[in-house]
Parts: sequence; C-alpha cells; structure tokens
Amino acid sequence: MEFAFTPEQEALRSEVRQFIAENVTPEIVAELEDTGIRRRGPKTREMYKGIAERGWIGISWPKEYGGQAGSRIDQYIVEEEFARVGITVGGAGSGAPAILAAGTEEQKQEFLPGIIRGEISFALGFTEPQAGADLAGLQCRAVRDGDEYVINGQKMYTTAAHYATHIYLMARTDPDAPRHRGISIFLIPMDTPGITVRPLWTIQNNPPAPLGTTYGDARTNETFFENVRVPASCMLGEENQGWYVGAMGLNLDRVGASRYLISIQRDEDIVNWVKDNEIEGVAMREDPTMRDRLADMWIEGQVCRLMTLRSMSIVENDGVFTYEGSAEKVFAPEHGVRTTETIAQMLGPYGQLLNGSEDAVEDGVFAHNLMGAFQSGINHGSVQVMRDQVARRGLGMPRV
Amino acid sequence: MNVLPNEEELMVKNAAREFLEAECPPSLARAIEQDERGYSVELWEKMASLGWFGISLPESHGGGGLPVTYLGLILEECGRAIAPVPFHSTATAALAVSRHGSAEQQQSILPRAARGDLIMTWAVQEQDPRLRADAIQCRAEVDGDSLVISGIKHFVDNFSAAELMVTAVRTAAPSDDNAGITLVIVPTNSAGITETRLTTLAKDSQSKLTMDGVRVPLSNVIGEVNQGWPATSDMLDIGTALLCAQITGAARKDAEMAIDYAKNRVAFGRPIAGFQSIQHLCADMIVWTDGAQLLTYEALWKLDSGLPFGVEVSQAKAFTNDKCQATVRSSQQIHGGIGFMMEFDLHLWYRRVTAWTMRLGTSFEHRARVARALLDQPGEVRLGMNLQPVG
Repeated sequence: MEFAFTPEQEALRSEVRQFIAENVTPEIVAELEDTGIRRRGPKTREMYKGIAERGWIGISWPKEYGGQAGSRIDQYIVEEEFARVGITVGGAGSGAPAILAAGTEEQKQEFLPGIIRGEISFALGFTEPQAGADLAGLQCRAVRDGDEYVINGQKMYTTAAHYATHIYLMARTDPDAPRHRGISIFLIPMDTPGITVRPLWTIQNNPPAPLGTTYGDARTNETFFENVRVPASCMLGEENQGWYVGAMGLNLDRVGASRYLISIQRDEDIVNWVKDNEIEGVAMREDPTMRDRLADMWIEGQVCRLMTLRSMSIVENDGVFTYEGSAEKVFAPEHGVRTTETIAQMLGPYGQLLNGSEDAVEDGVFAHNLMGAFQSGINHGSVQVMRDQVARRGLGMPRV
Repeated sequence: MNVLPNEEELMVKNAAREFLEAECPPSLARAIEQDERGYSVELWEKMASLGWFGISLPESHGGGGLPVTYLGLILEECGRAIAPVPFHSTATAALAVSRHGSAEQQQSILPRAARGDLIMTWAVQEQDPRLRADAIQCRAEVDGDSLVISGIKHFVDNFSAAELMVTAVRTAAPSDDNAGITLVIVPTNSAGITETRLTTLAKDSQSKLTMDGVRVPLSNVIGEVNQGWPATSDMLDIGTALLCAQITGAARKDAEMAIDYAKNRVAFGRPIAGFQSIQHLCADMIVWTDGAQLLTYEALWKLDSGLPFGVEVSQAKAFTNDKCQATVRSSQQIHGGIGFMMEFDLHLWYRRVTAWTMRLGTSFEHRARVARALLDQPGEVRLGMNLQPVG
C-alpha cells in the first residue's frame, strides 16, 4: 500500500493549481456559468488551449494520438484540480476511452488529437424515452444500405448535443438478435443532415447553477434522427458488439476525479464555511450535534475518496474491475445526497435561498445542490442498477 | 499511490488466512467461550511458531521488523477467523514498549513477546471509559524508587492470561496540557490487584481491576513520570487501528456467510439471492466493509509513514463501528431464524463484532475528535490532507 502521491505528482498538482489561480478569471467563471455558451465562450476556449498546450488533457493516452503516454494518476490529479473549480478536462464522458480501446487507427487519428485540442467533443446518445436504466431495450435503428447506415430514432438527455461536434450513438443494428447482441456504436458529426436537437430544461435552469454545483446543467436535450445517412466507417468496434464497447466506456465514466468531486465538494465547502461564518452570532462550529454530523460527513467523504483511489489503483495496475467501480457509484452519490440534505437542515431557511437572492449562503450553491445532488444517483447508471452489478458481478448472486 | 495491498502484503495476508482456515475452526472460538483460561494455548503456540507475534517488532529484539500494516493484515485475518487468542492486546502493549520504552524494557520484554513467550495487555480505561487524559483517575504516587498505584482499571482484555499490563495512571492533577499521566508496566500478579471478571457480549475475557497499593519499581515507568499521555494516546491509537482491522476482517466474513446462505436458501420457489431486496442489502454490506477496510489501511499506512495518524484512526473507528455493526446485523436479517440459534455459528461473529465496536472509543468520541481536528484549528481543509489531531 502507498497512499501518497509521488513528489513529481505533488509538483504537478501545484503547477495545475497555479495555472488555475492565474487563468480561471471571473470572466471565465461567468462564461462557464452562462447557460447558453457553457464551455464554449471565447475566453474559455482560450483557456482550454492553454490547458492542452501544457499536455494536461489525455495525459495517459499514447503519444501518437497527442497524449503523453503518462500515468493515469497524473491525469487524475489534473482532472481533480480542475473539477474543484467546476471545470471538466480530460477523459470522463469524452468517448475517448472507448475509442482508444475499440477504435480503428483512422478513428483514433481522427478523434483523439482533436479531443485534446478541444476541437472535438461528444454528446452521449444512449438513453431513449423507453430505455433508461434498462438501456439494452433501446430502439433507435441503424439499417445498412450499401456503404452507409440509415439511422432513425430518438435519444434522450443528450446533454451536450447543442454544443458538441459529434454524438456517440448507440443504435440497434440487428433487431432479431438477443437484445444485448444487436447493438452498435456510431461516432457521428452533429451537423449530419436529419439530426434535430430540442432543448429539455432541467430544474436547475433558473437561476443557472453556480459553478461547482453537483450536476448543475440547466439544459439537456432530446435528439431526433430522421433518415440520417452516415458512412459505415462511423461505426466504433464491430457491428452488434456495441453493448460491450459501450459498457466499457461507461465503466470508465463512472470512475475518476469528476465523479468523486461532485459527491464531496459540499463536505469541504460546509466545513470551511462553518469555520469562518456564524449566523447572527451563533456558531455552528460549537454545536455538538452539528460537529458530530460534520465529522460523519467528512468521514464518508474520505471513503468516497478512497474508493476512487482504489478504482484508480486497479486501473493503474492493469487490473479488471469486478464490482469496485459500481461500489464507488453506489456510495459516493448517496453520500453526496446525505451531505446536501444535512447542510439544508443546518442552514435552515437560509439553506433554501438560491443565487441572486438576498442572504443566499455561498452564492446559493447549497440550495442549488438540493436539485443536483440526487441526479448523481440517477445519471450514468442509477444506484439501484449499480447495486445489482455489485451483487451479480462482485458477489456472484443470480440474475432475477 | 496504490491503495491496494502489494504482493508482499498479500502474501502474508493470504498465508494467515490459509493457516487460520486450517487451524481455527469456529468450534474453537465456541469452545473457548466456556474455557476458564480465555484463550486457546494450542493455537497461540502454533501462531508463535510462525513468527506472527513479532512481525512488526524490531529485528534487533527478535522481531520481523516489518511495518505495522503487516500486523494489521494478520489481525484482520484473526478477526475473520475470530481466533480466540490474546494477540490484539499483546501486540498493542508490545508496540507501546517498542515505540516508547527504555532500552532495558525493550530488551526484557520484546524478544519474549516476539517469540510468543509473553502475553500482555493494556489498562487505560476506567469507570468513565472515555479515551482522554482527564478520565484517568487511578492514582499513583512515587515512593522512593517505587510507584504505588491505587484505583480502578476497567475493561481490561485478557487480564488472567497476561503476565504484564501497560497501565496509565494519574500522578498529578489534571491539567490543560494533559500532564500528570504516567504510563507504567505492571505485572498482573502484583500484590494488591483484585480482578472481577466481566461477562461480555463477545463472551471473551475482560476484567475490572481494583488496585490497592500496588507497588512497582520506577524502572517500569515508560518514559517520564507525569509525561505519559502522548505515549498512552499513541498506544490507544495503534490499538484502535488494529482493532479496526480485526473488526473489518470479522465483518467481511460475516457478510460472506450471508451471501453464501442466500445462494442456498430457497424460499418462494428460488434461492433468496435472486431477490433484489437481498442483493441490494448484500451489496451495501460489501460497500460498507470495503469503506471500513480502506479507512483502516490508510490509518495504518500513515502510522508506518511517520505521519500524524490519529485523525485517520478516529475516522476508521467511527465508520467501522457504525458500518460493520450494520453489516453483521444485516447478515442476521438475511439468515432469518436460524441465524440466532445457538447451534448455528453466525452469532459467534455477530456478538464479537458488536462488542468490539464499543471498545476503544465510540463513534461519538471518534467523530468528536475528527471534528476537533477539522474545526478547532485555523486554515482551509480538504479531504485527503494531513490533519493534526487536536486533543
């Protein structure tokens, strides 16, 4: 066991923190909080360019695709520091892990350097109106026609679809095969004719969430495919093997810094707030009940941290998850909710005040989190599905 | 950064598991519950021959010189096997001598402890069982070159099996800087000690001691008179970390028994392991014990790395108390009626884990300590940082 990072890794961490202190300006924060241009404002683009120039995106990817062939722990450190200020960098949700694992040489060349430069980004086209937690029931169809596929169907909660350049689409290519064996994945430019994006506004829409809120997306989308023609070369991996390619990508999406950070940031926020603040002369830091709850949350936060580091350790040792990624995705989201709801009862009526309101605490982040924290137990595999996986893959219990 | 046990650590852990699976069946723990001596002499001797008792004691005194983490991994396996031996109390006391004792004390005690020729225990808690200096009221006075002790020590493990106990006594009035505590080695056969055996939920060996003018030489004092609290606190922290290891080992085994039982128990026309309500409970049990284990490993790693580790110990114990208790209770739930029949083995684990969670600090005490570290010193905090314990 070795719970410390190396001196080189600690130096990298300092370097990233310094970059953030110097470059994440109030203007950039304003851009990032702006619902319309989230992650796409001119100053933000400039900043991402700076991040890419330092080699901090795709650190663990091979050099021939623009990476550094470095350690995933380094990548984790960079992602963690940026996630703490509400900025997403690197692997999670990018589609890149699956492309690295299953893509053709042409696909790797086409996408990975562009992802690093910030020129290519993916919306995730998994969920459908009738296929959420039970994703294998998806119906969006892709029919082979010569060198092309023709796609028809509807995807839900395609959160980045209004600004991503591409969509990472799961579609049914063999309706007669058993459900998991008739699915393929396509990497499709969003400007392909026949794709329509319609906004779905979330409950965090108005006012938009302060940066760093758990989830906090004001907008997601539904995306429609109407006779969308794409070349067969858009397919990622083998035809009808998409379930397994996708599962691999999702598994990697469930671990890493951002998943951990969205579940524990309020632990740090509330402890630091309570240390420095009082409400009309009443110091919660002196209240024995609240001290007990704060410590309880803190300890759970440490468990979230250690479970994330365990997943990282497994990946770094080239091991294979049986249940550990799912375990992390049970404990951390539910912890995030427990903390968020505990804070609500600590702050009382102040806890409900959103950003922009008179007397909002910490710019309303705790209040906004009451709309965001529970989403973490739903998105990317609900905690119920995760428990199924722990029981079945980890403990060898039978399918129902 | 690698929070998983490495190859050498796994080798030791697996060897311990194999040995105990062969040599320590549940029937042994059950039999020892009725045994006056309170431990299995045969198992103790076999374990001694493997060198486990000295694994983390210095090589210069016949030990293995390995980090305390290795000892923790072995005690985790002892917890798994609910091995009825006075290992935890001996290891805790021996490490106190190893870390704080004089050269003479180390020379006379550690080689014997490493060989398994010496059973030890520690005696700190009293009728007010809180782990803090001002709860120690047992008095001692210097008289020539002796220390004369009078007072009560409570919840002392394995007293009748032990030859020596490392005891914290009050030699001066309580003060803000925790001075006035003296840590001293007391032979258990000293004149003036009256033992009352306690009947514990674990049916293991704990005693309440009344000491009346117990006289020990001043050379038995560990460190300086009146300056013993830091060493006492260190001993308690190490004992607590090791107890966490023991509890997590036992709780995991207990969870595994429930999972196996669920796979075989048929109800409503199928094995109950096929019901999601059972699956999700089992998933939680594993998540909980994983969390307790990770916190415990980090505490042990920090101890071995020479970093402050008291806050990590308290984190581990508070979580272990609550979550391992929940695990063994859930295991009882899955087993239904058979789980609380005397003839069935499950209760051997349930009763031990439950009793152990109440020893060496409650969840409330340990969370209070975490809260002090977080809230009562200046500066911004962040998960994973090194935090100094406060008090």
